[in-house]
Amino acid sequence: MKITVNENLVQLDEQCNIEQLLIVLESPLKGSAIAVNQKIISRSEWGNYQLKENDKVSLFQAIAGG
Amino acid sequence: MLTDAEMLRYSRHLLLEDVGELGQKSLKNGKVLIIGMGGLGSPAAMYLAAAGVGSLVIADFDFLEVSNLQRQIGYTTADIGVDKVRLMKDRLTQINPEIRVRNINREMDKEQLLMELMMVNLVLDCTDNMASRQMINVACVEAKVALIVGAAIRLEGQLMFFDHSQTDAACYHCLFPTDEEQTLNCSNSGVLGPVVGTIGTIQALEAIKHLTGLPSGIKNKLKLFDGKTLEWQTFAINQDPHCSVCGNK
Repeated sequence: MKITVNENLVQLDEQCNIEQLLIVLESPLKGSAIAVNQKIISRSEWGNYQLKENDKVSLFQAIAGG
Repeated sequence: MLTDAEMLRYSRHLLLEDVGELGQKSLKNGKVLIIGMGGLGSPAAMYLAAAGVGSLVIADFDFLEVSNLQRQIGYTTADIGVDKVRLMKDRLTQINPEIRVRNINREMDKEQLLMELMMVNLVLDCTDNMASRQMINVACVEAKVALIVGAAIRLEGQLMFFDHSQTDAACYHCLFPTDEEQTLNCSNSGVLGPVVGTIGTIQALEAIKHLTGLPSGIKNKLKLFDGKTLEWQTFAINQDPHCSVCGNK
């Protein structure tokens, strides 16, 4: 299955949820936010949210500066 | 009623169909708490003062440092070492003597913040750390006060609007359920002045729209600003039913 993460193409196994994606990407779980197709997916849903072919994933960090 | 002096001062608002005299009176009746008087809070406070928001409460406990001046454009080199809220209160009163400004020059705990929230219509989170952001969010959810959150580092900005007077509002914790202080801030990552100023300025714009009853396009949304490309990305934030802050309302 092909998806994009921050506009970069990523090839995944057929079954992959968001938690598994972050492990594949070696991205920290804490302080991150994830959107799939412009919709934020809550942290509590990451383990259940199955990614689909052509999903556009946006991964970013909380920023606190001001 | 607006006075003759106010009619003159706000004449460019009165020409606007979207503001007019009614909107200007709403601004005059507006009470806004701005927490953090740095790169976000200083332009936000100056625009809201200039616009005639009748009551501003500004909170910060820092003293001005020379490294602030690269982006915190409300202050001058001669101000170094003075507490920011005292400086900013003077600045805002110089900009617009028609408004009331009160300053809070200490770190508030949640109870003090809840007391302050009883007296305002809107809060702008212009702080520089995750612990403050989480506490402000909890208090605004409890007090059902609308919250406009801005943040910036490097050449990136984030902007969110959670209207806690509405039952469908998501909250900051739905998006970032973390108390980790490993998050990025200006002192560990750097920031460009116009980037943080852009976000603070838009917080002021959204505040004016909220007070005058204009619809906001960013409620329950996260906007990401890229200062390199000038592109904005928009993400919808739904209330997380499992959120430990707002999930049970």
